[in-house]
Amino acid sequence: MKKYIYKTGMLALFAGVLLTSCDPEIDAPSASAGQADFTKYVAVGNSLTAGYADGGLYREGQLNSYPAILAGQFKLAGGGEFTQPLFTEEQSNGSGYLKFTGFDQAGSPILEPVKDKLAIRGLGADTKTPLYTEYLDEVNNLGVPGIKMVDVTTAGYGLNNPLGFNPYYERLIGNDPLPTSGFMPYVSKVAATNPTFFTMWLGNNDVLGFATSGGVAAISDAAKFQTSLDAMVAALTANGAKGAIINIPDVTGIPFFTTKATAAIMAKATAAKTALFITTADGTVRPATAADFVLLTSTVGTPETVGTATIPHGFSPYNPLANSEVLDEVEVTAVKAATTNFNNMLSTAAQAKSLVYVDMNAFFNSIQMKEGKATLNLNAISYSPAFISGNLFSLDGVHLTPRGYAIVANEIIRNINNKYGAHVPTADETQYRAVLFP
Amino acid sequence: MKSKILALLGGTLISGMAMAGGYQVNLASQRQIGMGHTGTGLETGTASIFFNPGAMSYIRQNGVTVGASGIISKIAYRAPEPGTSTAEADNPLGTPFQVYGAYKVDELLTVGLGIYTPYGSTVKWGDEWSGRFGLNQLELQAIYIQPTVSYKVTDKLGIGIGFIYAIGGVNLQRSIPVQNQAGEYGKAELDGGASGMGMNVGVFYKPTDKLSVGLNYRSKVDMEVKEGDVTFTNIPGSLSSRFPEGTEFDARLPLPATLSLGVGFMPTEALTLALDISRVGWSAYENLRFDYSQNVNGSPTSVNARNYEDTYIYRIGAEYKVGEALALRGGAYYDNSPVQNGYLTPETPDADSRGLSAGVGYQVSENLSVDASFLYINKKERTDASDKSGGIGGTYKSIAYIPGIGLNYTF
Repeated sequence: MKKYIYKTGMLALFAGVLLTSCDPEIDAPSASAGQADFTKYVAVGNSLTAGYADGGLYREGQLNSYPAILAGQFKLAGGGEFTQPLFTEEQSNGSGYLKFTGFDQAGSPILEPVKDKLAIRGLGADTKTPLYTEYLDEVNNLGVPGIKMVDVTTAGYGLNNPLGFNPYYERLIGNDPLPTSGFMPYVSKVAATNPTFFTMWLGNNDVLGFATSGGVAAISDAAKFQTSLDAMVAALTANGAKGAIINIPDVTGIPFFTTKATAAIMAKATAAKTALFITTADGTVRPATAADFVLLTSTVGTPETVGTATIPHGFSPYNPLANSEVLDEVEVTAVKAATTNFNNMLSTAAQAKSLVYVDMNAFFNSIQMKEGKATLNLNAISYSPAFISGNLFSLDGVHLTPRGYAIVANEIIRNINNKYGAHVPTADETQYRAVLFP
Repeated sequence: MKSKILALLGGTLISGMAMAGGYQVNLASQRQIGMGHTGTGLETGTASIFFNPGAMSYIRQNGVTVGASGIISKIAYRAPEPGTSTAEADNPLGTPFQVYGAYKVDELLTVGLGIYTPYGSTVKWGDEWSGRFGLNQLELQAIYIQPTVSYKVTDKLGIGIGFIYAIGGVNLQRSIPVQNQAGEYGKAELDGGASGMGMNVGVFYKPTDKLSVGLNYRSKVDMEVKEGDVTFTNIPGSLSSRFPEGTEFDARLPLPATLSLGVGFMPTEALTLALDISRVGWSAYENLRFDYSQNVNGSPTSVNARNYEDTYIYRIGAEYKVGEALALRGGAYYDNSPVQNGYLTPETPDADSRGLSAGVGYQVSENLSVDASFLYINKKERTDASDKSGGIGGTYKSIAYIPGIGLNYTF
């Protein structure tokens, strides 16, 4: 009997060991918030925060905004619900956006605007700005495409008026001329959300507006940038919230400025026994140098009539690229100086309040191509800032693809974990799309 | 009957997945699996065709052996910290097999034929996991056909040599990171048959009734795939010229040489103890290279570094005869991984592995005996950046359960 018990005991033990170890398992630390509190996460920022992509704000981009991806990961570490001002399914194309429909004979991508299922409800009082379907419930993602740091304290920035206003902000606050509605400055709207955790990615447009206009629009005033930044950080941290301040990447590293590589166009001009001519800010026409950036939106190379001849646009001093088609060398210097200056202010602000400072500028600088090879490789996919093929940037050459936003979200998570001793898991970036090919 | 079994086995040619170092599958005899897969220094009956052709001339009767194992294997994956994505390879049942026949021409000369599957790998990660652009699925198979002669030089010394003709194939599937308008990813499948040649030589020395030693060398076999088919699916129309239809590929996969030294010790009539040390020439596997008949995504080749290292396998085994008919066996081994740090790939997410085995043999009648074996393999959990191999970084853990059965018929 004793022997029998022993035998069955051993058998049960053996079976038990076999069953419990039947599937291999890999232990992982459980998610935690560390010193952070993700109960109410609020995202503040511009188009990048809103999920803008392919030259427009639309539902798919919103759903894949980096704040939405972050919130999904925060949830694993005690984060709460995260509401975004989503366009409805019926109006899913929002502001409209660019769709990639093929290549032209020169091998350039053909981009066509999407015109159906828009969320445009009419024109503003200025009779030109489209108004978008409103979303007046409280939201956690306060990303407003186009907003600059220097706009955040402006009363009436979201009021439908004839003086120019931001329709993406207008749709969030209602249009009554009251301090609690249309006249409410962005900073007050943000303060009212009372977050426990925030991300702030503002300031890009303070230099980008200048850069994408080829130096026609102005760079924001530095003193105004500082006071606006102070007001914003004060509003966000009024109740002791922790958060992350994300800095401004060098805009000249993005496809909007690098796709029509000046050196390559100059070489073409040289081959045609001429040179590439540009117009600088003071109206001077001069041959281009490799330090000038031809913009993605430039029509350089398009055959045009010059006198009696047909010459590619820019290939003659009598038909130079317009000032608005080029960020010339002087303007590039101004952009870089302003970026450094603004980033110093952002860094100081983060330090003063012991906030996370995400050096997105350094991150984007680290993923430029090196010797023809991508330096960022994740899960057997290469990433670079190359237009379309780089997998990071969407069809406007400025904003990211959903996968690009996921990679940015992961970079922010790593910084948060590092600063606050948190263990927020990163997202699987392969679950997000890059550019869709026709 | 034999041809029927062969046909049956032929229908399940997928040999085991990579449960030994690299893509080697050490499952060549049901008796020897039970003894930790030792056998180089023993007279192992017809299985000496594999373990040591030098010992084949010591068989007492003509015999035929057929056997097969079923590999139930699982591999878990977790993305590098602080990632959360996980995956489990859903590998199909692997069925490595062995068929041996040996015939004594006279007292000194024995001839034999062995058909066995020493290399193979089937790993199926599927096309949802985060590493799908590295690999969805890989099947490697190699069947060795080895006619063999063995000569008894003296009562104590035997030598043998076999010629190896290997046939097999490769099927590799992976997702391509381009998406059509519906968001679907492209997919590539590479499929081709392969063949190669090599040899198996052995020396067996038995100075006393209680002691025997053996040395065996199985050469490297270069499996060459010529004009395998590349099939692309779900490629967006605007990129179809970059992934051309009708593309063919050539590739070469080295099945490395194995040099084994074995010792057998028989202190009593009933007890056999064995010890084997093998050195596997994995350094022959430097890279995985595909040459395409036309450019694929702008490139005529695809090359990924492997840089495997030579490894040692240490084995011990024992057999105890309980009575006239029944034998009990046990064994263990330790198998070093040939994969260096930085080179781990999802095709063979290899790590140092420990094997524990048990087996029984039963003499059913004067001519017929049955062997059954069970092997448990546990590979160490391994975390690697996979930054040198184009692999998928993360943590991998593999285990396998391998039951097997074989029949011996002597005449």
